[in-house]
Amino acid sequence: MDRRHFLNTTVATTALSVAPNIFAASPLKVAVMIPQSGPAGLFGPSAKACAELAASEINSRGGILGRKVELLFGDAGLAPAEASQAALKLWKSGGAEAVIGMHDSAVRGALVGVFKGQVPYFYTPVYEGGECANGTYVAGETPQQQLEPVIPWITAERKLKKWYLIGNDYIWGRNTNAAGKNYILKTGAQVVGDEYLPFSVDNFDASVARIRDSGADAVLVSLVGGASVGFNKAFASFGLSEKVLRLGTLIEENTLAGIGIGNAKNLYSSSGYFANITTPAAKAFAQSYSKKFGPQAPMLNGLGQSTYEGFLMLEAIARKAGSLSVAKMDAAREGVNYNSPRGAVTIKSRHVEQDVYVADVDANGFRVVKTFSRVGSGQTCKA
Amino acid sequence: MTMDSGVILHGLNITYELATLSLTTLGLAVVFGLLGVMNMAHGEFVMIGSYAVVAVQQLGWPVATAMPVALTICGLLGWVVERWLIRPLYARPFDTLLATWALAMLLRKLVEAIWGKGYRNIEIALPAPVNFLGTPYPAYRLMLIFLAMLILVFLYFWYRKSSAGLRVRAMTTNPVLAEALGIDTKKLASQAFVIGMSLAGASGVLLSPLIRIEPGIGVDYLLDAFFVLVVGGLGTLAGFTGGVSVIGGSQALVSSIAGQTSGYAVVLIISIIFLWLKPDGIFSRR
Amino acid sequence: MKKWPFSFPHHPLGLLALGLISVPFVGGDFFAYQIGLFLIYGIATQGVALCWGRLGFLPLGHALFFGLGAYLAGGVLKASTKEPMWLFALPIALLIPALLAWVLAFMVFSRSLRNGPYFSLITLAMSMLGFLAAQQWSEVTGGFNGLGDIPEVAGLDRYSSFYWVVACVAFCTTVLLSILVKRPIGILWRAISQNEDRLQLFGYATDRIKANAFAFSAFLAAMAGALFSAHQGIVTPQALGFVLSTEFVIWAAVGGKSSPAGALLGAVLVGYASAELRDFFSFWEVIVGAAFIVVVRFMPQGMAGIWINKQEQKNSTTNDPPQLAPTSSAPYKVPDLIFDGVRVTQSGVKILDALTFSVNGPGIRAIIGPNGAGKTSTFNALTGRLPVRGGKVSIAGIDVTGWRAWQVARLGIGRKMQIPSVFSELTVDQNLHIALWAGRMHGTQSLQRSPLAWNTKICDEMLDLFSALKDQRHVTAGLLSQGHRQALEFVMTVLPEPHLLLLDEPCAGLSPAETHRMIEVIQFAVQRLGAAALLIEHDISAVAALGGDVYVFHQGKLLAQGLLAEVQNNRDVRAVYAGAKK
Repeated sequence: MDRRHFLNTTVATTALSVAPNIFAASPLKVAVMIPQSGPAGLFGPSAKACAELAASEINSRGGILGRKVELLFGDAGLAPAEASQAALKLWKSGGAEAVIGMHDSAVRGALVGVFKGQVPYFYTPVYEGGECANGTYVAGETPQQQLEPVIPWITAERKLKKWYLIGNDYIWGRNTNAAGKNYILKTGAQVVGDEYLPFSVDNFDASVARIRDSGADAVLVSLVGGASVGFNKAFASFGLSEKVLRLGTLIEENTLAGIGIGNAKNLYSSSGYFANITTPAAKAFAQSYSKKFGPQAPMLNGLGQSTYEGFLMLEAIARKAGSLSVAKMDAAREGVNYNSPRGAVTIKSRHVEQDVYVADVDANGFRVVKTFSRVGSGQTCKA
Repeated sequence: MTMDSGVILHGLNITYELATLSLTTLGLAVVFGLLGVMNMAHGEFVMIGSYAVVAVQQLGWPVATAMPVALTICGLLGWVVERWLIRPLYARPFDTLLATWALAMLLRKLVEAIWGKGYRNIEIALPAPVNFLGTPYPAYRLMLIFLAMLILVFLYFWYRKSSAGLRVRAMTTNPVLAEALGIDTKKLASQAFVIGMSLAGASGVLLSPLIRIEPGIGVDYLLDAFFVLVVGGLGTLAGFTGGVSVIGGSQALVSSIAGQTSGYAVVLIISIIFLWLKPDGIFSRR
Repeated sequence: MKKWPFSFPHHPLGLLALGLISVPFVGGDFFAYQIGLFLIYGIATQGVALCWGRLGFLPLGHALFFGLGAYLAGGVLKASTKEPMWLFALPIALLIPALLAWVLAFMVFSRSLRNGPYFSLITLAMSMLGFLAAQQWSEVTGGFNGLGDIPEVAGLDRYSSFYWVVACVAFCTTVLLSILVKRPIGILWRAISQNEDRLQLFGYATDRIKANAFAFSAFLAAMAGALFSAHQGIVTPQALGFVLSTEFVIWAAVGGKSSPAGALLGAVLVGYASAELRDFFSFWEVIVGAAFIVVVRFMPQGMAGIWINKQEQKNSTTNDPPQLAPTSSAPYKVPDLIFDGVRVTQSGVKILDALTFSVNGPGIRAIIGPNGAGKTSTFNALTGRLPVRGGKVSIAGIDVTGWRAWQVARLGIGRKMQIPSVFSELTVDQNLHIALWAGRMHGTQSLQRSPLAWNTKICDEMLDLFSALKDQRHVTAGLLSQGHRQALEFVMTVLPEPHLLLLDEPCAGLSPAETHRMIEVIQFAVQRLGAAALLIEHDISAVAALGGDVYVFHQGKLLAQGLLAEVQNNRDVRAVYAGAKK
């Protein structure tokens, strides 16, 4: 830390200690990296709103370690190089002492390389698993979590015999399908197709035709964003949704809006959160959300809400560790648990054990049809 | 499911891809092929066409009004752009390219500001799949295929046989001589540009129920259209259909064998080779 | 004793150095880190500006080389943590993209002069292919997530001391480019963008010059990419893609595509402003787009255009005393020219119809004939401007059918165009020097200052004959009157000391007095060079004044040949000109 920065912090601290304040110490600046532009930009508003809700609720509880939480937002929707610039700015120049990130894995990789375990970093969205770096804590669902209990259940429920796997050609798509394949074969069902598409594709007719030809009765959809919307719409327009079931692990409210409820027959989504969950915790959360932001609030969805989860995770670990230093937090994290709108959450191996919901779609949107409690993430981080 | 219906389905899929490629490329074929203007904002006009449908739905107007709305907006915008941006830069092809690219950015950002970055869905009840040659196929797509074929036939007769087409052909082969003969080339150029942009907007309207609608979709349509014209050749109908067949066909063929990435890569490679060896395309005006 | 280049007149560079040095002190280490990133982008932008602003072709996919340099350097740096010997491979990370660029440019430009816009699209498509490859080839590039964990270089902390490395490199590239622009190569670059045709007729292999320049610009981009990988610690496919390529172009346009410092500052100012304002102002990109349109429409030289142009003209002359130029490498003898059954057709029209004639030995011959007889087309076929579909053209016994203009020129052929073709944005002096250097300037001489001071006796003699030109040496050629431009082009044609001169209506647009003068000068020059000359002329009195053989062309064939009096009495000739009965 150079002299200038030291001077600034000292002055700030002094000023705050003079002002009459229920918070004893300086505010705790938390950098929140969410996509405000780019293909995932549509999740920005809901993530921001959830972050603000989390901060205000935490502050009303006394803050973190007695310090008031202050949010610094950065755009994680840019290319990894620019996103890491933004994060760096919040950390080095803005004085952030913790980072909550709701963005893609490429940015995550870049940020891990930038932070090098010097600042606690909470990664919140659905992802492919495998993050074990020092100082990182993952609230997001993993393919194992979303599929291990779900595939056997749905295969039995709907008597599925042949699965087709389709995904975007990158690590999340491939890892999810690989995990899914494992679980599918264990149930005794067959895998009759496995294909990967680049992000730039927006014509899925050939893939839909192949799915039809293969005679599959279920499709595991590991597509992202626009690809997911396009594929699912095409699928339905060829009349396949009547006979063939779809299961996806990243189909949330925005994507569903794009697909259209009419095209979502026999479409299932496995996720840690849906806006329509009817548990008391989830309902209370939804109520606070609409109270704070009004009827025009950005639509609640799994990815945006995961930002809220990240804050709860930060709060819980910091409380147990008594400090924000990475060393202490890393030592304290294992076994920490807390209650969130998603249910009861326990931190294991840098990831979380959480409830997984499976929903299909009715006229009102997602409808939870099955809940699996305390599903492990299937990740083992040695450190 | 018999083997035949599988083949027919694949055949229909390829035809559909060629049809949509033709529809979205048509506007640029007019502007780039006939006027020689590298309009980098072409894709954004297609995008605006799709958003016209979104807007019309939001306002509660009947869906049929989307087409006239799109045509009006795109036509007007086309007229303004031709007058203030393209015409002064006719002699500077690179600058036209850049100016239209900046325009594309502007249009994208404006749409983002109004509708946000999220996906939009057109709430339209598409007719159920229809049995075509023994295989169920979405009726709307069939309609698009027939529409594309109809437009191509119409264009052939118009360009080759009508007097307006004759004037356009005169203007593109020898603008100076055309002017000397009393053809108002400025007005013709302006009209051609407006028509080109309106065609782009119209294709956006037609495709809207089938594609994802968000502000960033323009770039893909632009690049595909460019490559079609480069490979096929500018200014001739044979070139247009040739380019669509080569680009669309090779992409579909390679994709079905080696995956979509390879398909796209092959399109890029073919375009590069043509740009290098035969930049006038297969059927050039010469 | 060479003068230290950073003397007083180089104000902009001094200011740049001052600015770069003051950054960390004014804004702190983190600010310097941020500026460092945009300086890196700025170096690549300078590469784009070089090609676009100087040579006149626009690379739309330059991020390909930037990204290649970044990935290669990143890979080398990562490997060097295990095996330090790898560091010696770093230069390869810069040379491979440059080589690729050279091959690409050479393949495209050697095919045709008109490939400019296609070249742009090719670079764009290649950039996209590179992006696709980087995303798919995850074993090597890390795919979508990128190549991460790139170590710092030589222990320099990327958040503080590495800034000095970046600033140093950026300053050096700016200085280097500013120097090169004033050297002969810089003048040749500008000549290419103004009139590449003409330059080829002097024997310059412009496709090679363009390829070299493009390779150099790719080298700059790759170097920037290497700095990027060390600066950021991670390289992702976006470093290769379409978006970054177009940002380079925008920064070059707004900053000033003809100014190295302008391009650098364009990247820094616009890029940094975008990164900052994006957070506050969501309409920022709309403003950038609007600003960009304004620049393209109204300020083609960008922000730097305001003061750089004036500097350029002043500094492009040398104060060194004139020295005698080395001898030209063109052949010494007057070559025999033979056209044997040459056929040229275009769009179904027969332009040259089995044309057969020959020219041997020194002296002036005139070519006359009605319009459309194929006179200029003969010259065009000879100098590679028209494709020959049949027959043979040979010079000094060498079959030159289908040869390119510069290859033919190097056999000692000089050509003067029908419409005076000079480099209109260069001064008379610079125009003359370009002609002087033809066939004399080899290898790296174009990078040195000395050719700027070259002179030949013939040059002095010609300028004595055209004293008006001598007085206007520092005037921009485009501002000269028609007569002076004809004179200039003629002098330029003579300076490489060719032994076969092709003069296409050199007296067009001249008053009778000027015509008379021109004929005198032509006769003097031809005799002085001991050359042969073919003169296309409509003015029969001028032809008469010249003496010598006259060739009459008609409908792409040789109709008659001989002295003027013989030809004037020839029945076929009279039939063609006066419409007599057959």
